[in-house]
Amino acid sequence: MRERLGLLRRSISVGIVTEKYPYKPIEVPEGFRGKPVIDQDKCLGCGACVNACPPNALSMTDDLDRGVRVIKLFLGRCIFCGRCQDVCPVEAIKLTREFELASINHNDLYQEVALVMAKCMVCGRPYTTIRLVEHVASNLPREQRSHLLLCPDCREKHSSKKVSYARW
Amino acid sequence: MQSSATKLVEELGRFGIVEWIDSHTLIVHVDRSKLRDIAKYLHWGIGGYFSVSIGSDERPLDNSFHVYHVFSLDHLGVYVVVDIRVSPGYLHVPSITPIIPGANWHEREVMDYFGIMFDDHPEPKRLILPYNWPKGVYPLRKDYPYNKKVYIEEASDEPEHDSRFAGKYTIIPIGPYHPALHEPEYFELYVDGERIVGARYKGFMVHRGMEKIAESRMTINQIPFLAERICGICGYTHNVAYCQAVENVAGIDVPERAHYIRSIMLEIERIHSHMLWLGIAFHFLGFDTGFMITWRLREKVMDLAEMLTGNRKTYGLNLIGGVRRDIDLSKALKVKKVLRDLRKDYVDYMEKILGLKEIIYRTRGVGVLDYGEARKYSVLGPTARASGIDTDVRKYHPYAAYRHVDFKIPVYKDGDVLSRILVRHEEIIESINIIEQLLDNLPRTPIMAEEIHVPEHRIGVGVTEAPRGEDIHFVITSRDNKIYRWRPRAPSYNNIPALLVMLKDQHLADAPIIIASIDPCFSCTDHVLIIDVRTGSRKQVGLRELSRRGLG
Repeated sequence: MRERLGLLRRSISVGIVTEKYPYKPIEVPEGFRGKPVIDQDKCLGCGACVNACPPNALSMTDDLDRGVRVIKLFLGRCIFCGRCQDVCPVEAIKLTREFELASINHNDLYQEVALVMAKCMVCGRPYTTIRLVEHVASNLPREQRSHLLLCPDCREKHSSKKVSYARW
Repeated sequence: MQSSATKLVEELGRFGIVEWIDSHTLIVHVDRSKLRDIAKYLHWGIGGYFSVSIGSDERPLDNSFHVYHVFSLDHLGVYVVVDIRVSPGYLHVPSITPIIPGANWHEREVMDYFGIMFDDHPEPKRLILPYNWPKGVYPLRKDYPYNKKVYIEEASDEPEHDSRFAGKYTIIPIGPYHPALHEPEYFELYVDGERIVGARYKGFMVHRGMEKIAESRMTINQIPFLAERICGICGYTHNVAYCQAVENVAGIDVPERAHYIRSIMLEIERIHSHMLWLGIAFHFLGFDTGFMITWRLREKVMDLAEMLTGNRKTYGLNLIGGVRRDIDLSKALKVKKVLRDLRKDYVDYMEKILGLKEIIYRTRGVGVLDYGEARKYSVLGPTARASGIDTDVRKYHPYAAYRHVDFKIPVYKDGDVLSRILVRHEEIIESINIIEQLLDNLPRTPIMAEEIHVPEHRIGVGVTEAPRGEDIHFVITSRDNKIYRWRPRAPSYNNIPALLVMLKDQHLADAPIIIASIDPCFSCTDHVLIIDVRTGSRKQVGLRELSRRGLG
């Protein structure tokens, strides 16, 4: 009996613990892993996030006709692990504290970045984004920059030619 | 210790070729004729226990299938992997189920997935695949593409009821579907009046094919996030077990601080899992005040997890080689403060609750699993500790930072529901102690290993003590950042078969709490449909109602 009364007394003294959510907003702590947002202006289109994404929420497609590379994020697949944020070399994708993602419009769950691609100097085929070429160029000594303007195939031919000339 | 391990290697040498695969795991390559002897020796002879069986299609590697049985030797701190090579021309292996009944499901799973037959298996029926799954299609074989669909045309010829009981007794199906449940499971109870005479279990309704997905299209550092989603309550422990398996293979030197952070999060997970379970147990006993109290306290632990990792569940904290987030001083202090208050509140409440006579009367002597039966079924975790088996991976196979902390393992001998409540209750308090010790001694090292190189085609075993028992992940590595074979085994896999023993000769009204007592990840307001065989009448009763008033 004593235990029961004690329990009752303690339980009453606690009061109401439920919150009025969703009528009142809920605070999430610093560092909460919510909706990822891609910064259009920073993204290089390197695809590091696409490789790291465990559930394939991020995808990358090259539209050769339009000459653009499209990085697409579908929140319906996202697990909010933040691997994309870890691997992004330029902090273009970041997790926010936003978590109320329900929407009546399917398109609200997509984010898209379209980046203009660079065309190969030799064969004219688009092979990577202009931004990525610029980013890599800024990290390379001047004399090594020239072959950046070639697509991987032409670059291969180019360098093997160089090697065979060197042998002569 | 060292000498006893050497002695073990010598002893095992009688059965086959013995190798160390890492500092605490042995592999024994045995011939099929020696298999039963070594199983008997390891499980019954020297006090180990059977842990898991793994099938593996290694035809692309050495043109054969393999079956691995894993045994844990707690007193030596060693895991022993027994490897049997199966030639594709003769897919037969002697069954070890006649010796260790706990191996029943494990072997049937291998039968389903690889088509390897186990000779003299007492119950060679399908376990996971449905009965009308086409014959000769084995989904985990390497020549079966992960995205291939199977169209099932025939009707299932699965027997509807257990023929030993059907017709003679009233059949009470529990489950399988309920919108509130995240895990559908189906129990069929055969009752004589109020007494349960037999039971049948059917599960694997939420089988997701995770192994196949991981093996075919995920990379080594993506799988931890999938592993975390095996369980909605104790996901992090799977995550750690997988990472440890790969780290053991690769011999990665994980920094101490990462080990500490892993242990802290594992214990936080244990506290919230046990509190969740306590709440549900009280709910089934008709004591909803207890349910509210424990769940309110649990919410504080969930907030801690959210603060430390960025989410209440699915911490997403691990990668191979370490952790992704550090715990800084201000967070550590906050955790300590919350835990101090929590312990005071929790102990105070539980003293009052465990003093209630109704709780004791409803649970003492109910759902008994004695020591002998527990050993037969190789039950794990709190279920084993309530039946007098002193086992705990944290103590006997220390991983992460557990070798640096002091803690007790509660062991009770009665094997009833009350013992299971008490074991978990004491574990919550121990977990709080462990976290406090770890936070006080957080070493100052980096949190991620620098050099990570994973060799190909090597076997790794990673084990953790999940809230429900030993959680084991078996990994065979591959090239190109991939995993060749991944077999996670959650503790409920070994615990659920023992339920059928616990339920026998119990009151029907106790069935809900007995089923819930092993913490099988399924609970709440399941529905029960009662068919009276004598009159053929049907009525539907909530499991909760059943737990209060029985059939009457």
